[in-house]
Amino acid sequence: MKKRLIAMLLSLSMVGLLLAGCGGNNDKPAADPKPADPAPSAPADPAPAAPSAPAGDIDYKNFTINPSQIPQEKLDTTLYLAVSIRGLENPYIATINDGMHMFAEYLDSIGQKYEMQVLDSQGDSAKEVDNMRQFAAKANGNAIAYSDPNEDAIAYSLAEAMAESGGYLGTAWNKPADVGPTDLNPNWVIHTSPDNVIGGYNIAKALFDSMGGKGKIFVCQGLLGNTAANDRYAGLQQALKEYPDIEVAADDTANWNTDEALALVETWLTQTPDVGGVWCANDNMATGALQALDAAGLKGKVGVVGIDANTDIVEAVRDGYATATVSSNGYLQGGYTLAICYAAWAGLINVEDLPAEFREFATPALLIDSPEAAESYLTTPPSFDFSQIYWCKAD
Amino acid sequence: MIKLNPAASITEEFAEKVRNENRNDRLMKLAPIFVLIALVMVFTATCGVSFISGGNLLNILNQMALPLVVALGLTFVIMLGSIDLSIDGTVGMAGSLFACLVLNSEFGTNLGLMGAVIAVGASMLCGLAVGLCHVYLKIPSFMASFAFMYICKGIGMVSYQGHPPTIQDPFIKALPTASFLGIPFITWVAIAMFALCYFIQERTAFGRHIYAVGTNESIPRSVGVSVERVKVGVFTLAGFLFGVAGVIGAIRLGQGQIAIGAGKMFPAQAAVVVGGTSLAGGKGGVTNTIVGVLIMTVLDNGLLVLGVNPNIRTGIQGVIILVSVILTVARGAKVISK
Repeated sequence: MKKRLIAMLLSLSMVGLLLAGCGGNNDKPAADPKPADPAPSAPADPAPAAPSAPAGDIDYKNFTINPSQIPQEKLDTTLYLAVSIRGLENPYIATINDGMHMFAEYLDSIGQKYEMQVLDSQGDSAKEVDNMRQFAAKANGNAIAYSDPNEDAIAYSLAEAMAESGGYLGTAWNKPADVGPTDLNPNWVIHTSPDNVIGGYNIAKALFDSMGGKGKIFVCQGLLGNTAANDRYAGLQQALKEYPDIEVAADDTANWNTDEALALVETWLTQTPDVGGVWCANDNMATGALQALDAAGLKGKVGVVGIDANTDIVEAVRDGYATATVSSNGYLQGGYTLAICYAAWAGLINVEDLPAEFREFATPALLIDSPEAAESYLTTPPSFDFSQIYWCKAD
Repeated sequence: MIKLNPAASITEEFAEKVRNENRNDRLMKLAPIFVLIALVMVFTATCGVSFISGGNLLNILNQMALPLVVALGLTFVIMLGSIDLSIDGTVGMAGSLFACLVLNSEFGTNLGLMGAVIAVGASMLCGLAVGLCHVYLKIPSFMASFAFMYICKGIGMVSYQGHPPTIQDPFIKALPTASFLGIPFITWVAIAMFALCYFIQERTAFGRHIYAVGTNESIPRSVGVSVERVKVGVFTLAGFLFGVAGVIGAIRLGQGQIAIGAGKMFPAQAAVVVGGTSLAGGKGGVTNTIVGVLIMTVLDNGLLVLGVNPNIRTGIQGVIILVSVILTVARGAKVISK
């Protein structure tokens, strides 16, 4: 009986430990966070383009929130903000949450009452839809949210769950090609996605240029069959066509995983010690590749590229060990999606009047391909003017 | 079928049966080694020298360290006839904690090797807790350890809050490339763990008791062995080994992340079974496991060196594992194994 008690106490204390540390962080290993849909194409480069032609009579591209136009009644209503994600397990997803916090600071500045929440689906599609429904119902229509649908198929259900209570939702990355925000007016406000093909292409180009346009490379693909993995790989293939002197010495999947990439590159290096570069479909794998190169004494001599802008890889770019990485800019995705939804909720824009290209568009990804770019990415925290809600549109 | 001499007395008949079984046992013990040799020969024949080059053998040694330590821990659990599903969590947790505690990029801690001790200790505690829940709360080991997989993952997640710490301690950073007598340091750690487990299995009463409990609990109980203590001990030992594996993983990656443990459970289990340890308990041991781990590692590495199309590599791997199990698992048992 005594032992039974001890066992109970022990397991309770473990749970206690867990709860004590619960800063809102849960979840699973680093599966890559962002399967994407074959989205509209985007330029890869950082700064979103300057104002384009006005659409209709309102210049949405330069649309600016004017706080004085928001009725006091709206400002005094508690607005519920949420980001619906798979879990805060990796740095990229954490930046989406940070983006929500940045936008919340903006709301503070204009005197809007609000509450924030992270809806964590733990990779479960049904749960993500349920979370959204409960969140919207609780907010009684005064809700805006960013959602990264766990898989294509649930994008519409998520919007529907939000629509039942009358809130406003913006989705990112995943949705079926044949449905979109215009199918659910006005509650499904926007859908955005950074372009993976261009991401894969840009890092490949940076790598090949650093190799002088010729030599052998290794390729660490993401999870086979995953849309993001396919798109990034397609980008690589595009770049390979432009650089005929680059030879792919080995090509396999490391399933987005650091240790699988380490084992792959380690094994390949014994067969092809004269490799000139390693192309990885994400930064987790780039970390493994760098570690394998380090063990072989080749770190800094062989270029490595990845996507996601994980801190360690950005630092490696700064220190000259890695060639390039791409930031999907989660701050911008999370913050601006909420900003646009806010404008809709506050009645500043009429969702149904928005032209199609302001409902579905690409967000700018940031190519970090030089020590200087890496340094500034690491040292300058992004700051955004959320009143310019469509600043996040890439073209 | 065993042919028995009809004229023999019951005693003789029994003796002959035992002799037959012993001979079968000896053959079955060698089967995994034959599978390993066959694999090596096939890969050498198809990949040429690149497979058995010094560099690649070093890769295999490097790549087998973590799976070996995990599989050693699991071996004892399986010898009891139980299962431990907590691996993915405990290994990842120990790796994450270790990286958080030594000099790293995210936190201001610098405990040096003490960090390894704490990380392994935490994992050992989790093993102990799994054992206690299993034995005293009478929860099937399957469920208790499954729950702890999540608990440990959770602890690991909390430890680095989404920003995986990169190890910066110069001594630890140098370990992945360090070697002694041409064998990498981390492989030495794995070998030391193997020696420890072999010693426990062969030279201690505890080791004997594991076999006894795995075969039939009521026998050791009737002679006064505390079956409960043996079981809790085995899960604690497993927790210790998973912790060591996690630390090895973090050292190898140079970074702490939960993913160190991801997907380590089933390959370890396959290695234990391919090596010839029975899932029903009471049979096998750590020497079987080292062969099993070698089979799995050689298979992984060989298919990679061979450059098999990634789309079909996983499938081929499955087929070879199945064939290996068919060749190595003792059949003729009266019950279909659970």
